[in-house]
Amino acid sequence: MSNSATVSSKTWAGGRSPFSVSYGKLMMWVFLLSDAFTFSSLLVGYGAIRFSYSGSSTPWPDPSAIFNHFPFAHGYYLPLLFVSLMTFILIFSSVTMVLAVEAGHRKSKAEVSKYMIYTIIGGAAFLGCQAWEWSQFIHEGGRLDTNNFGITAQGYEHLKEAGKFGNHFEWMAGDRQPGPVPFASLFFIVTGFHGFHVLSGVVINIIIWLNVIYGTYERRGHYEMVEKVGLYWHFVDLVWVFVFTFYYLI
Amino acid sequence: MSNEHHHAAEGEYIPETYIPHPETHGTKTLWRVFFILLFITVIDFAIYFIAPAGLSRNIVFIALGLVKAVLIVGIFMHLNYEAKFLRWMIALPAAVFISYLAWLLLLEGSFVSTY
Repeated sequence: MSNSATVSSKTWAGGRSPFSVSYGKLMMWVFLLSDAFTFSSLLVGYGAIRFSYSGSSTPWPDPSAIFNHFPFAHGYYLPLLFVSLMTFILIFSSVTMVLAVEAGHRKSKAEVSKYMIYTIIGGAAFLGCQAWEWSQFIHEGGRLDTNNFGITAQGYEHLKEAGKFGNHFEWMAGDRQPGPVPFASLFFIVTGFHGFHVLSGVVINIIIWLNVIYGTYERRGHYEMVEKVGLYWHFVDLVWVFVFTFYYLI
Repeated sequence: MSNEHHHAAEGEYIPETYIPHPETHGTKTLWRVFFILLFITVIDFAIYFIAPAGLSRNIVFIALGLVKAVLIVGIFMHLNYEAKFLRWMIALPAAVFISYLAWLLLLEGSFVSTY
């Protein structure tokens, strides 16, 4: 004990958390780590199933050739545009979330509230987009256990000729055939599981925002709850980065 | 960032009375990261239409996705500024187990046939 004064203050000597964070924040990190494993299992499983269809008579369709719609532009071939918009919305809501956390560090109640409202609006907009995409897919016959979204060789030929970005494009008879069922099931499972996370994030954000408004954190002396829900919200954005990469780009 | 504030008895750690002392790093970096993320997404979009589908394009997409992930976790989730112990506790298991899972897929995937 006599030489304890020579130990640098950065060296952990017991009596406090070696992680230098509160219990709640540490547990949020541990939860997010476990959630990262859940999502990576889903995406790796998706990859394995998709890979197993190479060389099949009903090949895995090009996802962006399927999801080529945009609201109010019916009949136009706009692959990737709508999911890119969804990505933009989520990135934007992520930056407003981190701005709310930063405002919380300065204990600026009004700013925390403002940025959290932006974040909630962003999350709701993302959910709206996802609902639209789901309803499109379901309307065209996609189900958990059925999938008529296979593309035939003729279909790809037609796509190559007429499927230029922004062109008017409709599938012709013989372009499509029943495709791999897991294509539809995994679309609903992966984007659904992510969407459910977004939904929970929006609900939790609203609860925390109400607490901000009521002055709970002002009385508590710190806005760490905003930080914790912020961690969750950024994680949801992080997962979308990989859903976007593996489901739509590849 | 120490939690030496005690409203309870000395040496006692009570989460409810823990008061963090966060430092603000300003908003400049945050906006910069936002624009980098936006730029990478635009690049993704462009590559999809310019480059032919194939392994090399997929590798580029995955690499850009990992850059986005590092920026989100490091800056937005503040992990870069946390204690070294916490950084490794989160980053190492994620990196090891997820790459192991992906490696298993690449190794075994070609033996699986569901059609």
